[in-house]
Order: sequence, then C-alpha cells, then structure tokens
Amino acid sequence: MDRRTALRIIALGAATPQLQLLKAAAHNHANLNIAWTPGEYKLQFFSEAENQMLDELTELIIPADSHSPGAHAAKVSLFADLMVATGEESEKSKWRNGLRMMGEEADRTSLAQALAKAAEHEEHPTTELEKFFTLLKQMAINGYYTSEIGIHQDLEYQGNTYLSEFPGCTPTP
Amino acid sequence: MQSTTQEFDVCVVGSGAAGGVMAKEFCEGGAKVILLEAGKQVDPSQFLSHMWPYELPYRGLRDEKQALFYQGDVRQSIRYEDSDQIGMDRIRVLGGRTVHWNAVTPRYAARDFREWSLAGVEEDWPLTYEDLTPYYERIEQMIGVCGHDDGLEIVPAGKHYLPPLPWRCSEVILKRALDTMGIPVISVRKAVLTKPYDGRPACHFCGHCMSGCDVSAVFSSATAMIPQAKATGNLTLRQNALAREILVDNEGRARAVSYFDTVSKQEKEVKARIVVLCAATIESARLMLNSRSPRHPNGIANSNDVVGRYLHGHLGKGSYFYLKELEGAKPFNQDGATDHVYIPRYNHLAGKKDYVGGWQIQVNFVSYMFPYQASKLPGYGPAFKAQVRRMQPALLFFGSFGKVLALPENRVTVDPHHLDADRIPIPVVRFRFGENDRAMWHDSDRSLLEISSRLKCQAFLDTDSPPGGFASHEVGTVRMGKNPKTSVLNSYCQAHEVKNLFVTDGSCFTTSAEKNPTLTIMALSLRAADYIKEQRRKGEL
Repeated sequence: MDRRTALRIIALGAATPQLQLLKAAAHNHANLNIAWTPGEYKLQFFSEAENQMLDELTELIIPADSHSPGAHAAKVSLFADLMVATGEESEKSKWRNGLRMMGEEADRTSLAQALAKAAEHEEHPTTELEKFFTLLKQMAINGYYTSEIGIHQDLEYQGNTYLSEFPGCTPTP
Repeated sequence: MQSTTQEFDVCVVGSGAAGGVMAKEFCEGGAKVILLEAGKQVDPSQFLSHMWPYELPYRGLRDEKQALFYQGDVRQSIRYEDSDQIGMDRIRVLGGRTVHWNAVTPRYAARDFREWSLAGVEEDWPLTYEDLTPYYERIEQMIGVCGHDDGLEIVPAGKHYLPPLPWRCSEVILKRALDTMGIPVISVRKAVLTKPYDGRPACHFCGHCMSGCDVSAVFSSATAMIPQAKATGNLTLRQNALAREILVDNEGRARAVSYFDTVSKQEKEVKARIVVLCAATIESARLMLNSRSPRHPNGIANSNDVVGRYLHGHLGKGSYFYLKELEGAKPFNQDGATDHVYIPRYNHLAGKKDYVGGWQIQVNFVSYMFPYQASKLPGYGPAFKAQVRRMQPALLFFGSFGKVLALPENRVTVDPHHLDADRIPIPVVRFRFGENDRAMWHDSDRSLLEISSRLKCQAFLDTDSPPGGFASHEVGTVRMGKNPKTSVLNSYCQAHEVKNLFVTDGSCFTTSAEKNPTLTIMALSLRAADYIKEQRRKGEL
C-alpha cells in the first residue's frame, strides 16, 4: 500500500480495525520477493545491445506524448528481460531470433522501418518477423500498462482504493 | 500409521462452501467435529489484493495474487486425456474457493431441477425447488446476500436481501439497449455486504474479490463460518491434512479417514461415526475412488460405477464492448464490487429452441486497471496509445456461462501408477462437449452479436474459439438421484450404499443449470446437516 492509499483511508474515516489490518498487511508484505526493482536491475537475459534495441522498439510502440511518458521511461525493456529470463525456454529463442531479425532488417533500412515491416500483417502474421511483432507488442503492453507511469500517468486510473460508498452512475448518462 | 483413540461424531473433509456450512451446523448442534483441510489458512492480512502490479514480482501477470491459495502440488497433480479445452479449479487453502470468488449467488429455478420432465434430457433431481426453498432462505441470511426481488421465475428471489449494488454508467447504458430487445438485466445477487452484517464490515469497492477480500466483506468460509464453529469448542481443525482414503468396517460402513500430514509427512487416521465429503467435484470423487476395500472393490459406494461419471460444468466466454458514449470520459473509479448487474437466462423467453438449456451473463467482473483493448486494437505508436487511453473508461464486459449436459462418458478416474507429491493416485479427467452444448453455445454467439449491434460500441467478441470450460463451476461426479442404479446419493446427499457417508459439495449435483452453483451447494449442505442431525436424534446414524 502506498502513501496515497493510506491518506485516502484516513480521509474517508475508515474504521480503526480496518486501518490496523492494512498497516499489518503493509508490514507483512515488506518481505515479499519483488524481483522488479528497476533502479538496480541487472540484465539477466538480453545483452546490452539487445536491451538497447528493445528499449527503442517498445518506445516506438508506446511512445512518450504530451500526455504521458512512454515505454522507455517506464523501463519496459527491463521488464521484458525479467519475464523472458524467468519464462519458458521455448520463448527465449523466439526473442533472441526476433531481435536478430529486427536488427538485420534495421541495418538495411532503419529500426522504425523494420518495425513497420514487422507490423504490416498484424491480424494474420505469416513471416517469422511478423510473428515476432505480436510477441513484442504484447510485451510492450504488459510492461507499460502495469508500470506506475502506465497506470497512474497515462490511464489516470482512479481505483484500487477504499471507498465508503460507491457513487454509481450519477447523473444518468 | 498414527491414529488417535478419540472417535469424533463427524469428520468433514474440505473447508470450502460446503465444509464451512457443515462444520458450523454440527458444532453449533453440539456434535464433536473434526475438519480436515488439505491446505492451510492464509490470513486476510497476507492477501496481496491491494498491491499494485509494479509491487509484485511479475506485475501480477503470473497469477501471483492467487498463487498463495493453491498450495503444494495441487495445480500439477491432475492429468487431462482426450479432452476439450477445459480446466479444473482445485484449490488448497482454508475456506476453499470461497476465499477468492465473485460471490454471485443466484438460486436455481424450479425448472432447473426437472430437466427430464420438462426437456426430456438428463434426469430430474431427487428433490424440488420447494424442498430447497427454506434452505436457500436460511443460507442467504447466514452469509449476507445483496440484491433485489425482480419477480423473475428464472431466478427466484429471497426475502432478506441487503441493499443492491449501485449501477455503473456502462450498466445503465446496457439496460437501455437490452430493454429494446426484451432481455432483462437486474441487480446482481451476491454474497457481498453492502452494509455491515454479522460482525463483518461493508464492501469498500476495490474490485479485488477474486484476489481475496482483505476485510471479509465478501463471504468466505474461512472468516465467516469456521470461526463460528471454533467458538463452540466443538471443532478440531486439522490443516495440511490431505485425505487419502475412507476406511470402512466389516459391514462396509465408513469408520475413519486416513490422511497425509503434508508438513510432518506422516500418514494419520481419524475415527468418526459420520463422514461428510466437501472436497469439491474432482477431489471428492478422487477420494472415493481411492477408497478401495474388499467391501468396496471399485471405490467406496461405487458398485454401480457411477462415482466420477457425469462430470460437467459451465461453458465460459468473455466479450468486451467499448461504449462510444463513455469514450474519452474523464477517468473515474469504476472498480466497485466486480459484478453489479446480472443478465439472467433469456433464451427461453423467445420460444422453443432446437437445443436444451441456456446461458447467463455476468457483467463487469474484470479489473478496470488493465486496458484489455490494447491487445485487441491494431497498430502502434502515438495514435494507438491515445486510442487505448480514450477507450479505457468505456469498458463493458460480459462473462457468459452456459449449461452443459451431464453425460456418463465424461468422467474423472484415478491412476494408481501416477502419484502426487504425497504418494496419492492423481485424478485423470476425460471430457468432451456434446452436440447440444455446441448448439446452445452457437446460439449464444448469435445473441451476443445482436446485443452488440444494439449498443453503440466497438466490440471484441470471441466467436471463433473452440468451446471452453468450466469457469470453476465443475459439478456432477458423485450425483444424487432417485434411482440407486444411476446415482450415488439420495436427496440428502447420503450414499445409497454407505449410510454414514455424505457428499455435499458440487459433485452431488444431478444436473447443472447455467447459474453459479455455490448458493445451491450451501443450501444442499444445510439440508443434509438438518437430516443428519435428525437421524442422529432418532439413533439411525
């Protein structure tokens, strides 16, 4: 639980036992093994060069705009590294080969053009490069929209909190 | 093998929806009860419900929030053979699946007990809606159910509902569209407290019911039944106690339950005058099939080879609608208590079909945090990102649940050569959807398309995938029935062949309606408990 949530509970005047329960919960979770700490994260699967390319690719998929930062700021490439490093063996080669193909394509043109080519037949991918795009885009989505930036700054999600009452639809649309 | 000399009045196996009722009823009635639970308690203060994805090891994408309820090797110790796309939800924790559920609790309708008489399929239950009505009424008051009486025959209402949940804007818009089609949509009835009740606080609308309610506003056996049983001083609770076999005396009656203590790694035994299985559809059947003896060579109470057969559950499917009216709205908190409204079965309103059964639709029980549309929209880049954001407030989600017919060839067996981590033969599941199931599901797709056309929306419907199940609603493997040749239990959940053995979890269902089974499981358990108490008074048990 973060400070925002704690303040919200106090503001709503939640019952004391509930507050104590939440404090206990926060305490108990202090030991939860969170592999994900971007500040200190060390690459486990991708090379520095692969990570660099992945960072640029995911930023092309979910870029910074005037509303919110993008995949680069949300460190989506590091999230991808963790998921692939700790995931299925069969996925690892898909990622390694996919980034290699993307790199070869980019050498001929540019990374942006390589991505455009990979995304060309998104609904019915046939080539290995096109199939890799599906994997890459889903990873970008998973990483970005589960990050603090994605949830709070981009989507401005208002929930995961404690309400004393649910307002419902007022006024009726 | 370690064995205590004490003989208990009742041994209850499993502490979920059925086991919680049984433990509470018997303990309060003065019986000495031993409750065996294969898992152990997870205190609500340990739940990860309110954690943000970025506070979890894998952002919650590897089911980290629920993994603590599936203890030991329970997720691996099962095998599927020659099966359609189905999954069994076997849990291992004090409270069973009531620890994390949406708690939707419709009653079965009168017609749901009479498929043979009314539609010429399956079998009638050995009891009627009228037989169960007082128990529905009692259990609803016991657990606290919010809702409203809408006067619909297809979902009979109780008399003591807590105030219904307020409707979201997407649900108000949905009602406008469904009104033009003559399809009712009503306030959901669910075991979520909309005001403080029975010493438990009201819901705080975080939407995390499926990850476990940290304040017990959602009913859970672990926090609302077992503590009350304990308070009587009559309950002995054994956790980490994985039941292996029901042991019988020379007459073939249950005399004890042997279990494996998964912590001390020791085989133990408890003696009891009555054994009640509440371990759910797969585990109760598995336990009975693993209980072979000279008197019961085919497994206990299974001379007719019915135990394990008639496995069925719900067809399940998700549909996503993004309502134009809500696109681009300023983000607002829609979490609530997952489902707030409910679409009861409606296909019967439009006359006779060339198939039997129907579907219900649970509305808006997915999280409002993650943008599902991102994986469904084509493209990438600035326009993609902006569109994902615009659509985020506009979600309307349908979870359709369809009836599946109970067929004898769909079954669970045990494999004596394939043992789990505690050296107990694992269950093996074989299941295929039938023609009727597919025809009904096909019609539900047609109906979803029609609803979609009445909503101003961008819809993502999944009408191409093969049918899948069982949405955690598996039932039927230890069925009750009038005929002892084609059933295992009588209408009081008592084994025809073993008078002091009862099975009151979902496995006792004769047939399944499209409705969520838990309230009916609990009502049947209450009824069985009353019967057992009366039989004990008469000296029959």
